Amino acid sequence: MTKNLSRLLWRRYRQWFWALLGISVLAGIAIALMDTESWSHHSSVLFSDQIDQWLVYQNSKYGSVSLFSYWFVFIAWLSGLLLMMQDLKGNFNQFLFASGYPRQRIYWTKLGMALTGLLAIDVVTALVQYLIYWLKLPHGMSFNLALPGFLTTWLSGLVLALVMFAICWFAALIVGQSGALVITVCGFTLSLVGLNTFFQGETILMATRDVEWLAMGLWLLAAVVLLVWGSFLFSRLSLEHDGEYLMFPRLRIPLYLVFVAYITFIFSINSGEWQPTVISFTVAAIFGYLWLWRPQLIEKWRQRRGN
Amino acid sequence: MLRVSKLTKQIDHRQIIEDVSFDWQPGEIVGLVGRNGVGKTTLFRTMTRQYLADAGQVLIDQHDLGAEPAAQRQLFFIDTQYNFLGNYRLRDLPDFYALVYTQFDRDRYTQLLTRFKLNGQDQYRRLSKGMRALVNLILALTSNATYIILDEPFDGLDVIVRENIASMVIDEVADQTKGFLISSHDLNELDGLSDRVLLLKDNRLAHDYNLEDVRAKAKKMQLVFKDKEIPQVLKTHSKLIRVSGRVLVVVFPDYTPELDDQLRALNPVLLEELPLTLEDLFRANLSQDTGYQLLK
Repeated sequence: MTKNLSRLLWRRYRQWFWALLGISVLAGIAIALMDTESWSHHSSVLFSDQIDQWLVYQNSKYGSVSLFSYWFVFIAWLSGLLLMMQDLKGNFNQFLFASGYPRQRIYWTKLGMALTGLLAIDVVTALVQYLIYWLKLPHGMSFNLALPGFLTTWLSGLVLALVMFAICWFAALIVGQSGALVITVCGFTLSLVGLNTFFQGETILMATRDVEWLAMGLWLLAAVVLLVWGSFLFSRLSLEHDGEYLMFPRLRIPLYLVFVAYITFIFSINSGEWQPTVISFTVAAIFGYLWLWRPQLIEKWRQRRGN
Repeated sequence: MLRVSKLTKQIDHRQIIEDVSFDWQPGEIVGLVGRNGVGKTTLFRTMTRQYLADAGQVLIDQHDLGAEPAAQRQLFFIDTQYNFLGNYRLRDLPDFYALVYTQFDRDRYTQLLTRFKLNGQDQYRRLSKGMRALVNLILALTSNATYIILDEPFDGLDVIVRENIASMVIDEVADQTKGFLISSHDLNELDGLSDRVLLLKDNRLAHDYNLEDVRAKAKKMQLVFKDKEIPQVLKTHSKLIRVSGRVLVVVFPDYTPELDDQLRALNPVLLEELPLTLEDLFRANLSQDTGYQLLK
């Protein structure tokens, strides 16, 4: 029956994956062609010396090469969001939950299919890109791709893509409103970019390699926590809250506390003064309360108007 | 046998269904009636685990669906309000259902689409309400699930489609291998179709009627008396359905030979038996409490 479940899920998602593959290959070709435009003829090799080290590859001044494109992170982010959201908003969850397959098996099979599909898309797109690099290699320049830089870059990229996938996947599991979900994950992702810049500053005294591997470890841990927690919640998902902001009303208070703490933190980390902390705390506390409790507040307001 | 045992569901701190229990055998057509919003659809969604129950169980052949979800493949339900079918063509739907219901009959599905002049190329969402109801029923029948739930299958349908659905359901239970649980807020739709009717009221299962038993006892009469005053025997033993001038239409929930003698002894101008409908039965048994079309 597991095979049937995989076939069922593939029947559901195959159009999405084929479309994503097509778009990804086109985007990959465009990125690769733009990269080749930046190549300088002053170098005899395509990659800099950094490709020989266990570091995430940074482009040299002689030209950029998308060893692992950020595009892959974006499609992982998008897939996490859409694969979970579509099944809720498209009412496929109703069918799955009534299908007789255990929820845990549905969750992990779907997750496995999503990650395998994304990896396949990344690999195919990257192969097309590398082929373009090879074909466009100018006369006199050689292709000095080395495993340390290649593996570190791919591993780091895949972990980043996985955590972005996990964040969106988890958010789409607990948020039942499409618009609010997109705003939430966009806001959170942008805040992470800011946090990343801050932590890069904080870890300036550490070796680059250590920072990169530490970041990879933390991202991976975060992704695993979110995905495992997601499986726990998926088993307890009851669809009567579809269309409400939170699919799990019991998460309202924990989410509120995390939101207030997180917003206060990110708006006060760069400041030695107490005012930004107080202001951000106050604004987050009021906004979070109004946002998360708005159905009850609106209902009370309506009742008061009715009276 | 499918057993619903003390099923309870709250939504937003509001009790929607409470302690609902009943048994359902293959070969039975069970009607589920209740006023709008009484919790019929919530009961179905909770039975099929789209909503997780706060308490209670659904068992199929003693297998608890919570612990052994595979047993759920014997239970079929398409949510008419929330389903995933919208963007798919009719010819694609068996791809999904055959992977869940292993006995799904693709050939019969195609035959039934042809019989009802439904085009396999059409998208489900482009169909009329009646056509969608037909497709839902065709999927239900061809799934070959033992227990089939139909939620308001006649809602908004023309008489031809209604008759088609009713006759297909009756044909299907003939070999006693399938059972239907059909919800409706209109009792007339279930008339002549159900063997048994469950009445949901105030979040609970208020009554479980065996219609054959009820019909064996009850009678609907049209009466005209010389006097304007309604005889005491009527007030005591019957429920007044309609008054038109001096013509009284009444239902006796328990019509006995003694009652017949008493009525005839009153020398009515007219004493005529009328066909008894399900609606009449419910009026007679539950009075105004049923809330059904009482002023019609």
